[in-house]
Amino acid sequence: MRELEKLYDRIIQRVNINLRERDFDVNPFVYNLIPTPQMTKFYAFYGISPNHPLNLVFKHTNLSGSYFLGKVRVTNSLLYKSDIRGDELKKYGDLFQYQEFNIPVDQDEEITIDDCFLIKTLVHNFSHDPETLETFFIRDTVSTHYANIHGSPLDGCYLGPFSTVDLTTMRDCVIGAYSYVQAGEISHLSIEPGTVWVRKPDDFNFMYRHPISQLSSYIYFASGSPPQGVFMDFVEDRKEAFQRVFNVVNIEHPVTVPPSASLDRFAVIKPKTHIGDNVLVAQRAFLQNSWLGRGANAQENCYIINSKLKGNNVTAHGAKIIEADLATNVFVGFNSFLRGRPNARLSIGQDCIIMPHTIIDTRNPLAIPPGHLVWGLIHEANDLEMNSMPLKQFSKIDTRICRGSMLFEGSGGSFVSLFQERIHHILEANGAFYDGNLNRGHAQRNQNISFNTIQPYPMGDKEGLYPTIIIQP
Amino acid sequence: MKNYCVKDMMVPISEYATVPEDATLFDSVLALEKAQEKYKQSRYSHRAVLILDKNKRVVGRLSQMDFLHALEPRDANLDQIRKFKQFGFSRKAVSLQQEEYLKSSPPILDVYSKAAKLKVTDFMQRPTEGEFVDENTSVDNALHQLTSGSNLSLLATRGTHIVGVLRLADVFSAVFNAMKESESQRSEGAQR
Repeated sequence: MRELEKLYDRIIQRVNINLRERDFDVNPFVYNLIPTPQMTKFYAFYGISPNHPLNLVFKHTNLSGSYFLGKVRVTNSLLYKSDIRGDELKKYGDLFQYQEFNIPVDQDEEITIDDCFLIKTLVHNFSHDPETLETFFIRDTVSTHYANIHGSPLDGCYLGPFSTVDLTTMRDCVIGAYSYVQAGEISHLSIEPGTVWVRKPDDFNFMYRHPISQLSSYIYFASGSPPQGVFMDFVEDRKEAFQRVFNVVNIEHPVTVPPSASLDRFAVIKPKTHIGDNVLVAQRAFLQNSWLGRGANAQENCYIINSKLKGNNVTAHGAKIIEADLATNVFVGFNSFLRGRPNARLSIGQDCIIMPHTIIDTRNPLAIPPGHLVWGLIHEANDLEMNSMPLKQFSKIDTRICRGSMLFEGSGGSFVSLFQERIHHILEANGAFYDGNLNRGHAQRNQNISFNTIQPYPMGDKEGLYPTIIIQP
Repeated sequence: MKNYCVKDMMVPISEYATVPEDATLFDSVLALEKAQEKYKQSRYSHRAVLILDKNKRVVGRLSQMDFLHALEPRDANLDQIRKFKQFGFSRKAVSLQQEEYLKSSPPILDVYSKAAKLKVTDFMQRPTEGEFVDENTSVDNALHQLTSGSNLSLLATRGTHIVGVLRLADVFSAVFNAMKESESQRSEGAQR
């Protein structure tokens, strides 16, 4: 196990060197967060399918409980129960459009992870940086529980629990717990916990900051102890159900899956769940007593419980929907937490956009009218006024607006259009519009994936380390 | 202008507003008022107070802007809002957010009385290397130093001691007068 400890020290030192200007020491936050013996307990696994390239290289790593798909290279890193999902990487011959440029992709894109410690982190999508089209790099970075690295090359960063970096190249930054950043390119910034920041330079800028005193009851992370709060309790309470799907080789799900839908064998499906046509359920998703209508999806680390999603609903990575009814075309952003109660259901109208990292936690019935943009922290109907706006009204903003802790500047029309286009693209990529012939997406392509497992040295100095492994067709 | 040195144009420190390190903001305002009453050599009044340690050495300077900053409400949230510029927001957007926040915050009672008791050292700016100029430096050179550092004044030194303050207003006034004189000589020459 000595080698594993040396590797941890190496990673921490490299991250700290990058973050020295931020005066941030990552070690107190992650030291013993995952005890070293825990890292030797779980196998890693990878997917093989005729629809995805297979090129995996692992060197001097621990990969415990992690999942890989596509073209991925991991070196000198610790990956604990992380998902590295390379099913949206660019392919040789693709044209990447950036501003007025059409840039040809020279080779299949690869996710490269060097000198990183990723804990229960999702890596997905592709590099949106025109300067690094073929390499989606993640270097000298530590990320903690349920962080999302989505289409975002990173160098020298720290990501707090339940944080998301989306379509942003980031260097030497500290991202606080439950913060969401989509800003194109940033460096040398510290983002306070609970910040939701979406910026397109020269077009628009959106920022919301969760009130820390209230956010702390949902997620609190300080050095010396693991993340705490409602979010952690919620996932920990359902942890056992996942242990079963990871322990059993052949698993039978208690639902009927239409031929156009995809249900990952590493998802947890509890009884009385309905899966409609073109539905995509990713690994580590949790469904219980819920109805997923045509074209709905549940991404990694999503929980949908006692809820009805009428159709074409995007439930982005890490979102949780409990005791809720969603009309068609509702988008629920990354790591959002939407919780009604059995006698106080939450209903969300058609075409609503729930911004990433939104918390709606209500003990009284709450209805969000159709066509609204919703953000922030909402407990009751009164909060809706301050934290939502009809999309049509938002589109008319052309200077700036401030509502409570939300500040927006620029073109509301561009902001809304960008979200709507992206939602459409996600549905398309997920196969929601498949007609039996055209518009195949993940729901159709991910149906036939075989899984192989790999394991580390069982004891000795190298205990926990995986040997160098190259997996190719 | 070339024939003038900093010492010809500076305000001697004895005529400038000064307060000791343990002074309050109110002490500094009184000192500024007193110095302004006494100083009649220029129509431009003093706009800063120098802070002296117990050995009468200058350790900082409190400008009108620093004084006004001290009156602004402060808490962790406002400090965060004031950093919004680094996230690409305009100054208008930042003040909009600040206004919204203050609207929903409890009123700050007796803001002047509270600010008056604050220590001047908490708000003063410590002079940096580029803000010192030898008293024998030509005004032309000092002017360059003022513009390159966007300073409102420079501290004039004799050896290791600060002996005066070269103010932007006085340099501007001298340059303006020199320009007027030169233009009037030129037009007189043309008329002959």
